[in-house]
Amino acid sequence: MPMKTFILTNKKKFILAGLAIALSVSSCQEYLDVEPQDKLNSDQVYRDVFDADAAIIGTYGKFMQLAEKYVLLNELRADLMATTRNSDPEMIALSEHAVTADNRYANPKDFYEVIQNCNDNLKNFDIMLAEKKFTQTEYNQRYSDIGALRTWVYLQLGIHYGSVPYITEPIENLDDVRDTALYPRIPFEELIDELVAFTEGFSYTSPYSTDSSLVINVDGYNTAKFFINKECLLGDLHLWDNNYTQAAIHYKNVMETGTMSGNDSERFDTYRVKFAEVATNNDLAVGYLRFREQDRLALIDNNSQGWRSMFARDRDVLWNTEWIWSLPFDSNFAPKNPFINLFSNQGGDYLVKPSQRAIDLWEDQTQRNGFPYDARGKRFSYNVIGGDEVIMKYLYKFLDPVTQTPIDLFQTDGEWFLYRAAKLHLRYAEAANRDNQSRIADALLNFGIQSEYTVPGVTDKTDIEQTFEPFPYNFDARAGDFPRFRADWHRNGGIRGRAYVERAEVVGDSVISIENNLIEEAALELAYEGNRWGDLVRIALRRNDPSFLADRIYEKLNAEGNAQAGSVRTKLMVRENWYLPFVWNEEE
Amino acid sequence: MALFTNKNLLNINPTRMISIKLNKHYLGLGLLLLGLVSCSEPWEDHAGVNDSNLTLNLNEAISQNSQTSEFGKLLAETGYDRILAASKTYTVFAPTNEALAAVDAPALSSAQAKKLFVANHVALTAFTSVSQQDTVSIEMYSNKYLQFIDGNRIADAQVVDADNYTSNGLYHIIDKGLAPRRNIWEFIKDQAATNDMSAYLMELNAFNLYPRDSVAKANAMPGMQADSLSNSYFTNVYNLNNEKNKYTFFLLDNESFTEETDRLKPYMNRVSEDSTTIYTNYFTTRDLAFHKAIARENLPDTLVSKFGVKVPLTEATIAEEIQLSNGVVYVMSKLEVPLETRLLTTTIQGENPFGFSQSDKRANTFYREKADPQGDVFFDIMVQNHRVPRFTIYYNASNLYTTTYQVYWRAINDIQSNTFQQRVSFGGFISPTDGSLQQPFAELPYTNVEPNTYEEVYIGEFTLDQKGRDALLVSLQAANSATDGVNTLTLDYLKLVPVIK
Repeated sequence: MPMKTFILTNKKKFILAGLAIALSVSSCQEYLDVEPQDKLNSDQVYRDVFDADAAIIGTYGKFMQLAEKYVLLNELRADLMATTRNSDPEMIALSEHAVTADNRYANPKDFYEVIQNCNDNLKNFDIMLAEKKFTQTEYNQRYSDIGALRTWVYLQLGIHYGSVPYITEPIENLDDVRDTALYPRIPFEELIDELVAFTEGFSYTSPYSTDSSLVINVDGYNTAKFFINKECLLGDLHLWDNNYTQAAIHYKNVMETGTMSGNDSERFDTYRVKFAEVATNNDLAVGYLRFREQDRLALIDNNSQGWRSMFARDRDVLWNTEWIWSLPFDSNFAPKNPFINLFSNQGGDYLVKPSQRAIDLWEDQTQRNGFPYDARGKRFSYNVIGGDEVIMKYLYKFLDPVTQTPIDLFQTDGEWFLYRAAKLHLRYAEAANRDNQSRIADALLNFGIQSEYTVPGVTDKTDIEQTFEPFPYNFDARAGDFPRFRADWHRNGGIRGRAYVERAEVVGDSVISIENNLIEEAALELAYEGNRWGDLVRIALRRNDPSFLADRIYEKLNAEGNAQAGSVRTKLMVRENWYLPFVWNEEE
Repeated sequence: MALFTNKNLLNINPTRMISIKLNKHYLGLGLLLLGLVSCSEPWEDHAGVNDSNLTLNLNEAISQNSQTSEFGKLLAETGYDRILAASKTYTVFAPTNEALAAVDAPALSSAQAKKLFVANHVALTAFTSVSQQDTVSIEMYSNKYLQFIDGNRIADAQVVDADNYTSNGLYHIIDKGLAPRRNIWEFIKDQAATNDMSAYLMELNAFNLYPRDSVAKANAMPGMQADSLSNSYFTNVYNLNNEKNKYTFFLLDNESFTEETDRLKPYMNRVSEDSTTIYTNYFTTRDLAFHKAIARENLPDTLVSKFGVKVPLTEATIAEEIQLSNGVVYVMSKLEVPLETRLLTTTIQGENPFGFSQSDKRANTFYREKADPQGDVFFDIMVQNHRVPRFTIYYNASNLYTTTYQVYWRAINDIQSNTFQQRVSFGGFISPTDGSLQQPFAELPYTNVEPNTYEEVYIGEFTLDQKGRDALLVSLQAANSATDGVNTLTLDYLKLVPVIK
């Protein structure tokens, strides 16, 4: 039996060999050249506008893999987030600013993978346009989108690494990025200039037009807010460049998104940080059931009403009045939502938590009903679950709203929160404040334009409740009945007004004081949305005062009784020590 | 020999020829190696059991050791020889033959006692003398916990020869037998015939001080010690029968027990003499048990009981000190707790009512969290704009004494600018028809609640003559007005301070 098999096998081999020779002799090469069914060849992409769209979606998919790193680098290195009993040494190093070259969170390669994707997209868009594979309009929208996304990634790189190579062409081997001879590293200020120059060159800076093939409903999501807002990015770049008027212009363009709308609620509510609907509570404000403002149990605390709901609700009308840029994680599709694991102590590893300093910031506020805290803290941004302080913003879709246990461990839907109206207003106010418009900044921060510019007791609003300034500082918030006015900004309630806390007082020099208030407000309002480290670095650079950053990190570590607090402060008083080491290993 | 067999096999199997050719060189090398080393048996040396200690199990090792042979006999007698032959891992603290001879006779008087005695020397898993902790608490087979200190002391015995290992664990030879001690509760039980306080505590096996006691007793399991609350004292104070914790207990002798209870009795007046006595005794004894065993030299000037009563120890006299398996009992010939510290102030939190005169005013009821001007946070209740004259909030006060109480409140009127009035009543019942308060025995006058007053305000006094089984009903009543702002109710807390007669 074995003997037979042996001979048979050999026979087969001879036949096969014969066939192989025959085949190689014959010239039909195509025979073996089978195209893989699940991969695309280079000549199968970038053929038309739909291929271009697919490439863009692909790049955004790649981009989403930065989500966890973005939140950790920007929050754990700053003062609002702390490590837990479960954090690994690399996270603790981030928090204590003791990052070594082998720390996986310090590896910049992920950023360059996205940049590489963008560069490939941009190069091919140029080729497509030259070969007339899509129209100039289609090209403009797509080119500026991917260009802006690349700029955003570079801005992050600059914030965290200081000097980085600015590469705008696809390269053969990504590991070459580390080669300073090939790709010299340019300092942050120079990088910002490059980014401004590139981004200001776009001929299209609005969101994708509503008839674009990229704005569709897919798998239950409307894609309109998936894409980066170029005007917001431009505003941010100019703000980093201390170019305040330009920053204000770009931010104001976004703030006026609803202005031309024929629909009243779209016109009055879109990105204008609307006041609370005290009767219905169908708003995004911190609020209580009407006439029960003194009852702490009457707080509007659910997934469809009030401040909390902006992190929990679907992409509905109200959601669209606040969110400018947000990418969804869906358990049915890659990439996986990294935030459940990061934040949840049920169904997750609970790797980070709110710092004591952040908790104290919220507890130091007073609500307008006299309650001695800011509900955005312990009631919304974090909750105490099972004795642990759990950061909640990313978990509202994962945990049951009542029992606070996972609804379904495998249902890990969530969002990567990137830009919203409150952030827009705070950034605009920061620019305005430095551009001799402190009153507007203070109004937007506190109780809104109308409250600041009104005159008590005057019924005729014709000449009040407006700023009488040229663009970008023009605000008309008139709401009067005799004669009747319902101006564009009449529903603006201010960030602190919407959050139901007392106004932030201006002490001493008003520009510095208001700027401090704005940055602190960003902590209270936007905590854990990935802005804090950038805010601290930007102000410290602007004032040429490293202590602005160092003191806050010191306070965080000190409040936790960390013995390193003092030495970390000393270290951070030197700007070079703010930055992560720019290294990665070949095999990673 | 095995190799030849293989070769033959290969020879007759032509399909394997290829592999033989390939491996020829290795085979040659292997043969050479074998030739070189075949004189010794390296694997046998490596893996074989050569340590004679490991050929014996614990039972055999202890019995064969001339120092501990007597304990070995005891193992056989109690059946522990079979347990210690099993393939689990044990630690045995084996007393020397001399030590065993010196053990008090009662500890080995019966088969039962012998078994318990042996069990108190055996523990599951291995405890070596090397440990990172200075004290390791070991649960023995007797369910008693013994302290293994610094690897050379177990309870009050010294380790003579440590870490003798065998195939199923290790044994330490010690210089003293570990006769199992009684726990505090077993000690109290044994005193019941002569000591009044012990006798009283035994009564609480049957008597339920509070309704919850009967539930705990119904769930108690015989034989269980840790979670079995078979006595009212266990439910309400500490489970002195629990081997897993340590306690300090002060047992009064008959004279001082009488002295203490007599002093408290006038404040515990109940319908029947019997129940007055039983509750007087309880309120005396509940302050005499403390968590953790406190050695005599470490006793502080004052201990604070679970209920917040300060027990002064400077004037106290210890008649006897008994070390027990779960702590220490001090028999006291004098331990005086003055009424000033014995009688506790009762505080009723405004935000914890158990009911309202009508249930449809939830929307007007505010559970608030506020800060006073000093920044101290407080929680309180406010009922506003309810339009109901004499709207009432109901509270309970339990464990009151039969004496006069001075009553204070902290009532914060911070969101209105006007002064309003409210009053507090004690006793009576809630009307089953309309929820109103009926027949309170004491009704304090309507008192002003001034705006923005954060201090405690004295609002009057009442006297409780006799206590019933139930908690006392305390009511906070709004002004007799339907006007908003006038009939507001607010309360941070009520404070009832007992007056010494």
